Amino acid sequence: MGRLSPQAWFRQWWQSRLPLTDTWVLGQRNVYILPTKAGFTFAATLVVMLLASINYQLNLGYALTFLLAGAGIVSMHITHGNLRGLTLHLRPPHAGFAGDPAALEVVLTSPSHERHGLALRFEDRAAFGHSFAWCDAPAGGQAIAHLSFVPPHRGWHAAPVLVLETMFPFGLFRAWTVWRPAARALAWPRPESPAPPLPQAGSTPGDERHSLRTAGSELDGVRPWRRGDTMRQVVWKKVARSGELVSRETTGTASRALWLDWAELGVSGTEARLARLAAWVLMADRAGLDCGLRLPGHDLPPHQGEAHRRAALDLLALWR
Amino acid sequence: MIGLLRERLSHLPRDARDTLFQLLVIGWTVAPHVLHLPAWCGAMTALLLAWRARLAIAAAPLPSRWLVSALLVLAGGLTLWGEQTLLGKEAGITLLVVLMSLKTLELRARRDALVVFFLGFFLVLTHFLYSQSLLTGLWLLGAVWGLLTALVLAHMPVGRPPLRRAGAVAARAALLGLPVMAALFLLFPRIGPLWGLPQDAAGRTGLSGSLRLGGVASIAEDDSVALRVRFFGPQPRPDQLYFRGPVLSHFDGREWTRLVPNFPVQQRPRLNLQLQGDPLRYEMTVEPSQLPLLPLLEMTPDRPDSAPRIEGWLLTLRSDGQWQTDRPLIERQRVEATAWLQHQHGPSADVLGLRDLVDLPPNANPRTLQWAAQLRARPDLAAADARTLANAVLMHIRTGGFFYTLEPGTYSTAPGSHAIDEFWFDRKLGFCEHFASAFVVVMRALDVPARIVTGYQGADDRLQDGYLVVRQRNAHAWAEIWQPGVGWVRVDPTAAVAPDRVQRGRSLVPPQGLVAGTVTSLNPALAAELRAAWETLNNRWNQGVLNYSRTQQLDLLRQMGFSAPDWQDLATTLILLLCSAALAGAAWAWWDRRRLDPWQRLQTRVMQRLQALGVAVQPHHAPRERAARIRAVLGPAGQGLADRLEQLDRLRYGSPQPSALQLRQWGRQFAAEARSLPRQARPGADPGRRPA
Repeated sequence: MGRLSPQAWFRQWWQSRLPLTDTWVLGQRNVYILPTKAGFTFAATLVVMLLASINYQLNLGYALTFLLAGAGIVSMHITHGNLRGLTLHLRPPHAGFAGDPAALEVVLTSPSHERHGLALRFEDRAAFGHSFAWCDAPAGGQAIAHLSFVPPHRGWHAAPVLVLETMFPFGLFRAWTVWRPAARALAWPRPESPAPPLPQAGSTPGDERHSLRTAGSELDGVRPWRRGDTMRQVVWKKVARSGELVSRETTGTASRALWLDWAELGVSGTEARLARLAAWVLMADRAGLDCGLRLPGHDLPPHQGEAHRRAALDLLALWR
Repeated sequence: MIGLLRERLSHLPRDARDTLFQLLVIGWTVAPHVLHLPAWCGAMTALLLAWRARLAIAAAPLPSRWLVSALLVLAGGLTLWGEQTLLGKEAGITLLVVLMSLKTLELRARRDALVVFFLGFFLVLTHFLYSQSLLTGLWLLGAVWGLLTALVLAHMPVGRPPLRRAGAVAARAALLGLPVMAALFLLFPRIGPLWGLPQDAAGRTGLSGSLRLGGVASIAEDDSVALRVRFFGPQPRPDQLYFRGPVLSHFDGREWTRLVPNFPVQQRPRLNLQLQGDPLRYEMTVEPSQLPLLPLLEMTPDRPDSAPRIEGWLLTLRSDGQWQTDRPLIERQRVEATAWLQHQHGPSADVLGLRDLVDLPPNANPRTLQWAAQLRARPDLAAADARTLANAVLMHIRTGGFFYTLEPGTYSTAPGSHAIDEFWFDRKLGFCEHFASAFVVVMRALDVPARIVTGYQGADDRLQDGYLVVRQRNAHAWAEIWQPGVGWVRVDPTAAVAPDRVQRGRSLVPPQGLVAGTVTSLNPALAAELRAAWETLNNRWNQGVLNYSRTQQLDLLRQMGFSAPDWQDLATTLILLLCSAALAGAAWAWWDRRRLDPWQRLQTRVMQRLQALGVAVQPHHAPRERAARIRAVLGPAGQGLADRLEQLDRLRYGSPQPSALQLRQWGRQFAAEARSLPRQARPGADPGRRPA
């Protein structure tokens, strides 16, 4: 930390003053504005025009120069007003795999007038890329800007510091705001690729418990359909009678549960194990198999479906 | 047709549409220059813009940089060939126009366009070197709007914003900037040129310090205004309107110039002005002539109550009766002065210095000299005075077959030629300067001191806005002869052949353009009316905008209460004004940063009240959550408050949204309810309170 360059130190100090918040209301306190390079060029042009007007005694030249100067000054207020009053809100980001782009969805709400040429970007362009998300916010309405960053490893990632900037209308001034969203994005471990085939189901010790339940599988009751239930679980006959989606209570078609055990992966090293487990969880999900995770000190009972896959991946992402 | 065009435009991709709009604006900005730039420049610009438009419509790739550079070199070469330089005004503007159109071939990104816009603003300024008329101003206002609109378009990267929207943003910025513009325009101190005098800025010349035969012909056809004059009193007859310019007393055989006297000061003829009759007060606005003189009405004496005055200028009355300024008139000037139409001037007795005024170049115009000698030898004129001799010469002009014309053809100026002889005996065609110079030569040959006076004579028939308009075509040359006991006597030989020219102040009308001619022949009254209305408008424009100079600025300050303002007061006023505007802006920003949304303000107040009651709530809690917390902490005592908060919740998240007034009413009711509860009702019992 002692090796920070003055700029980096200043940036860090500056950003640490900003609150962490998912809703950022832009006002006089957090919108900054400075002239751009084009703004300085414009000013230089005006000086040359003024000199020409003085030297050739052109009253209309004075008028033109001062008209442009007035418009330039007004443009400063328009540029600032283009941001002032906006409300930014970051929607909770979805989890994704480490190394895949994680999408950030920012809602821009303009309670008053229409806003043009808003550009959303990451503050640290060296780390997160130079991409801009351009958008216009309609009067009294909302606009959505999408940005994505690539989480390098599994686990929680704080959403990067964002900058919203605008040079509308003339590009003579740049107004911007720096925003530290509070939201975090979860990155699952990157699945191993290519991964070895899934181990054989039922070969693992926890099998008995499951086989007991599968015995009564055909007699099991039904329950209302839940998110994540596969089509095969749906009791279509009952659906046809009652008109309501119902699923079998048992875990369905797979006759035997598959336990993925930390100790029996065939690889060593935490990240390599997690990568293989992630790959297998995905394969099992695609194959429609029940699978459980057995990690040291933590078991995830066998199940299947979207919710289960997520739970398994979340477990792997946060595994220590 | 227009519908079809719009249809096609709406199918173009946005980039192509923006490029076409930029090209249109550039074309509009450049167009007026075509009148005074070389033909190749106009043609090249039109071709380049058309080519770029074709590329935009076809979405074809832009030409390589090599080709663009080659075209630039070609343009530079053509300029050098045509203007002999790359530095002068014309050459600079030619290059600027070509550069602007070439730059369009490099518009790859919308951002590249910024260079074009800034070049464009400068190009607009260059038009004012040629004309600052109302029409030019309006045309270029359109150009500036177009440029700003294109600039706005370049900063609306999303979707396909309509041109009208961008135009409205640009117009709004310009209109809101008007107060700044007005303050700067009114108060920015007008100072003289910073370096060099822009000689080439002179759009036209009226009078000059010399007179060469044939030189006035172009002026006579120049319809532009030389000066405007308004009388506080009875208006003089047209033949009394002589505005005195340079007095030319030295003749080298071809050219009349000012005399450099050969005699010491005390022997030179004095002005010796004697006034008779009633004074005539007048106000005059003189257009920039680039000459260091004021063509005032004959004769305006140098007395404190009558002399013209311009703030910061030194005005002197020369001994030949012409008003001299200490610097050239490079901007319009308004002066007030008093003239006496009846006057005598010049030495009453002969002085040695008058010998300069009978001087003639030797060996020039021998036939004229011989003719003068024969006239003098006539018995009836042997002892005649100057006036009688002059009348005899005028009689000859009147009866000798002379003819007044604006197109006399060119007189020989080769060395050894005798222009006056040619006029007096052979051609007998000419206008004022021919008649005046021949007359003065003859008078000098008769040993009568004589000289040429140049200036303006006569004016338009109609008043414009109360002003009498004197035009460049009213430029005139007449003669003065010296008579012992009287002084200088004005003689206008032109009146002998073209009395109309002098008595009605009417010069020969040059041929009109087709449209103006048609209107004039169909309805002369309407044409005159239209012309008068237009010129009145133009006069207002000239007086109000173009004539605005240091004098008017100081007048403005005087009206604002300054006793003896100078340019520092102007600068101080301007700086104070701008500073107070900036301070007002800062004050507003300070107020604005404190100002909270009514909803947020209410939320904060409610939170403070609840905390005072011992209910810990967080800023992000919705009213509903706060109500729940109240019920948990205060129990039945908080029933009323909780109900109120739930009401607020319904108000806030229902539709329509509550107004600021409703929120305030609610706030009052809530405050009353909260006050009725004992403070810190049950402190410590709040399960929501976290350990510190």
